[in-house]
Amino acid sequence: MAEAASSPPPNGATPREGNVEADGFRIRYREAGEGTPLVHLHGAGGLRWSPAHDLLARHFRVIAFEMPGFGDSPENTQTRTMAEYAATMTRAADALRLDKFNLWGTSFGGKTALWLAAQAPERVLALVLESPAAIRPENFAIPAGTPEEMARRLYGHPERLKSIPVADPAIRAKTQPLVNRLLAPPRDAELEARMATMETPTLVLFGTLDHVIPPEMGRHYKALMPNCHLVLVYDAGHVIGAERPEAFSEVVEDFLERHEAFLISRTETLIHP
Amino acid sequence: MKVSFFETGRYPVPADIPREWPVPSGAYDPAVGAKAYQGMVERARFVQKLGFDWISLSEHHYSPRILTPSPPLSAAHLASHVEGIKIALLGPIVPVSNPIRVAEELAMLDTMLPGRFVFGLLRGTTNEYLSYDLNPKEARERTDEGMELILKAWSEPQPFGWQGRYFQYRTVSIWPRPQEQSQRPTYALGVSAEAADFAARHRLGLGVSYGNVELMAKSTGYYRQRCTEYGWEPGPDDIIWRANMILGETDEAADAALERRSAQSQAPFPIGARLRSALIEQDKRNVGGEKRPANVGGILPISFCGGPDRVIKQIKEAREKIGVGVLDLSLADPGGGDTDAMMSKIELFGKTVLPRIREI
Repeated sequence: MAEAASSPPPNGATPREGNVEADGFRIRYREAGEGTPLVHLHGAGGLRWSPAHDLLARHFRVIAFEMPGFGDSPENTQTRTMAEYAATMTRAADALRLDKFNLWGTSFGGKTALWLAAQAPERVLALVLESPAAIRPENFAIPAGTPEEMARRLYGHPERLKSIPVADPAIRAKTQPLVNRLLAPPRDAELEARMATMETPTLVLFGTLDHVIPPEMGRHYKALMPNCHLVLVYDAGHVIGAERPEAFSEVVEDFLERHEAFLISRTETLIHP
Repeated sequence: MKVSFFETGRYPVPADIPREWPVPSGAYDPAVGAKAYQGMVERARFVQKLGFDWISLSEHHYSPRILTPSPPLSAAHLASHVEGIKIALLGPIVPVSNPIRVAEELAMLDTMLPGRFVFGLLRGTTNEYLSYDLNPKEARERTDEGMELILKAWSEPQPFGWQGRYFQYRTVSIWPRPQEQSQRPTYALGVSAEAADFAARHRLGLGVSYGNVELMAKSTGYYRQRCTEYGWEPGPDDIIWRANMILGETDEAADAALERRSAQSQAPFPIGARLRSALIEQDKRNVGGEKRPANVGGILPISFCGGPDRVIKQIKEAREKIGVGVLDLSLADPGGGDTDAMMSKIELFGKTVLPRIREI
């Protein structure tokens, strides 16, 4: 099956590709759109350009990094903690001369994004956490199994998707130790202490059909973080941006533009003037 | 077996009133309406005295056939006048409602009188889509999403936004909240596979309505199968069957009444024929996954008919085949007939049938 990334963006632009150097890593990125930068840090499945990237690239300069150890990059045995990993990604942003930027982290990358925002709050305009893996239940298990089993865990309705990316077993074997090392433990007391004082406007999104991390985990972020908003995306699984891209990008765009004021509706209901 | 009386706010209909739905509201008489609502209270007291477990309510619009467009208001009215008997809201029509408003109003009731109310959520009958301009093609999905949102609003302790397909809220955090689900009987209503799936997934009861034993058994059989797949087993109280009964002093009397009723081809206040056909064409229905045409304005089937002994036998069969533990009964068609005659049937049921079906 073809990856979603192979479909061209709806605005006709093809994402540009590039590489930056940070902490001895050569880090690939894909980029599309113009305007305020929106940096994306991917999940444990690696960088996949989704329909949500395309939609957000209509309003933002979307830069999706492939974090060290993922994709075709060499195995990453160097990074020991998520805090280190986040520092590396801050330096990757430095290499692109991104002074201030919006930050979007998905699942595994949600924890990276939280650490990055904790370490460099002055750099992050707003934080979007898509199905973040920073707080997980005790019985959490990283999705594994056949492509069909993986699809059932990752998506609420895999049967509705035109194509589902299939993980390369060799890449998966290479990244698994890194993911396990950086994700553990299910509750990170040091990070949660930092989250409690974080002023960054934060939007946490969970799909109501998330079979990887229960959407009920969202309430912990809301309870911990002083400037956090929780949104449940109906009928979406773990990979919200791929499954309900319009719903995802609409609320993300609104939040990034207006922060707390996104609670004030701009929906017009006038039918006939 | 528990027994519920289906209360419809019986409005005595004058002979000269227009018969097509929607019925002109200019024909409404406020004094008669007030009396109808007082009648609700009197019947609730009466059935409670006879030993009925619940009194149930529904949502219908724009006709005198069933005079209860707002289940929460009907329920509050009854609860404020009658003590003891449980009041079942079967129930708010979710796809035409603001789900958050439904969640709040039901939570208010549950807080005012904990344990008095039973809640059912449903898609509604096809003709009701005309009441609030609902596109029939969206009804199923709006129902599923609305029910999901209501349950989430009841259970989520933190403020949350909802990014749905048909509903969008940037922030939700209802006060008051209802009791825990175990203390608050809640049902998804409908014979469809979708209603059964939803109920099974959320560990809710299922309320089915009308149709014969075989059809209802198909629906509840599917529900029980899905419950097993979700790792739980529903009990008798988890299945409600709303059904019509013709009860006579003898089998012969009941059969004669059934014959008289069978001469009718339509329910009171039907929708015009062409509109009816257009609606049926646009609405998709199923029983436990098997396609069925929508019933729009047709008479509803009689599921029980006979003298006390025969009816008890039929109830036993329903218990065995459908798994039903709560019978929600109509003993006369709403929108017509003689209320006094209906009261005597209720009394007959209460005295000759009800005490003998407790152990079923």
